[in-house]
Amino acid sequence: MNYLNENLRHVLAAEYVLGTLSIRARRRLEQLRVEHIEIERAIQDWEWHFNGLAEKLTPQPPSELVWQRIEQTLLERDINTQQNVVDFKTHSVRIWQSITGFATAAVLVLAFLLFSQPESLEPLPNQITVVQSEDNQPLWLIEIFNTRIDTQATQNVVKETAKDYELWMVPKDGTAPISLGLLPQEGIRSLVKHNRFDTTEIAALAVSIEPLGGSVTGSPTQVLYISPLALL
Amino acid sequence: MDNEEHLRLLNRVASGDRKAFELLYKATSGHLYAICMSILKNNELAEDVLQEGFIKIWDNAKEYSQGKGRVLTWMTSIVRYRAIDMLRFQKVRKGNGLSEQELVSDSPTDSFQFTNKNQLDHCIEQLGIQQKQAIHLAFFDGLTHQEIAYHIDSPLGTSKSLIRRGVQALKRCLGL
Repeated sequence: MNYLNENLRHVLAAEYVLGTLSIRARRRLEQLRVEHIEIERAIQDWEWHFNGLAEKLTPQPPSELVWQRIEQTLLERDINTQQNVVDFKTHSVRIWQSITGFATAAVLVLAFLLFSQPESLEPLPNQITVVQSEDNQPLWLIEIFNTRIDTQATQNVVKETAKDYELWMVPKDGTAPISLGLLPQEGIRSLVKHNRFDTTEIAALAVSIEPLGGSVTGSPTQVLYISPLALL
Repeated sequence: MDNEEHLRLLNRVASGDRKAFELLYKATSGHLYAICMSILKNNELAEDVLQEGFIKIWDNAKEYSQGKGRVLTWMTSIVRYRAIDMLRFQKVRKGNGLSEQELVSDSPTDSFQFTNKNQLDHCIEQLGIQQKQAIHLAFFDGLTHQEIAYHIDSPLGTSKSLIRRGVQALKRCLGL
């Protein structure tokens, strides 16, 4: 596809801004906007025009909790930074007092949350992604927890009786994809989280089609879908 | 607050000024929250997206340049794209089963009357009613082609074609 064709470039850029591009096309365009200034300009043109439409929405004040949570997030980052750079021999008592104070408060808040929530409430995943088909249909929901990866197939998954779908993590540094396990063709499947998952900078997750039982070479045979991860 | 004031605050945010960040939040959060609500139609999710969006704005303030358009346009893009991602995730989590009522807003903009007479509004008025409707459903409600097709009771191909021809007509009208 010639992305530098003017008409195509504008249609793709406008659909990117509207939000109607498939996830795969969206990520591809995000790569291309970095490489080609013409695409970046086309996206900016459409953002400028379309986002102006949003200004006719009547502003609605969010709950005050939102700003409090933003401040809390930045405060936690400050404390983590201080913890990372503190010299253990010469650190000031004051820093540790504030860290200890914050930690105590955090424990109390956590305890309150734990004991005030219904028992059936599961912890939220740390990261999520929705693997989508080229025509924007959701195929799998992938939820990353501390020690496991929960996968859930939608009814849009094409059932392959003689093949399996395999999930991979694609490292940012360009090294070979790492298998995370086989995806269900229907229902839910929980995968054990790979021990390199949390220590690897991940560019995206990928889904390949493989012989029954998964790739025999250790590498994806045919990649069908690519999906970026989002933090929660 | 105009763009110059937003820019002045964002420059201070880029250098780590929390007070400026709070002022920028106060000046823009109502507008950005309205966008989140328009797409997500759920207070809790909209507030989550707004929170994430502002953290990203804090993190990326140094990357903003005036070539990226007005400050509010840049901030709108950050929050709106995240809202669309969240919407897609929630639909899958619910089994892809949002009702039609959940898919579309009941905001005044549903009448497809783009009353703010800027250049784009003028150009949108030149579109056919279904093209306007399709663009409205995509922008304000975050619908996919498939969902737009369902809403306007047309095949998927028609939905795609409406948006693409609409965009091409807008491009000509806007002189892009």
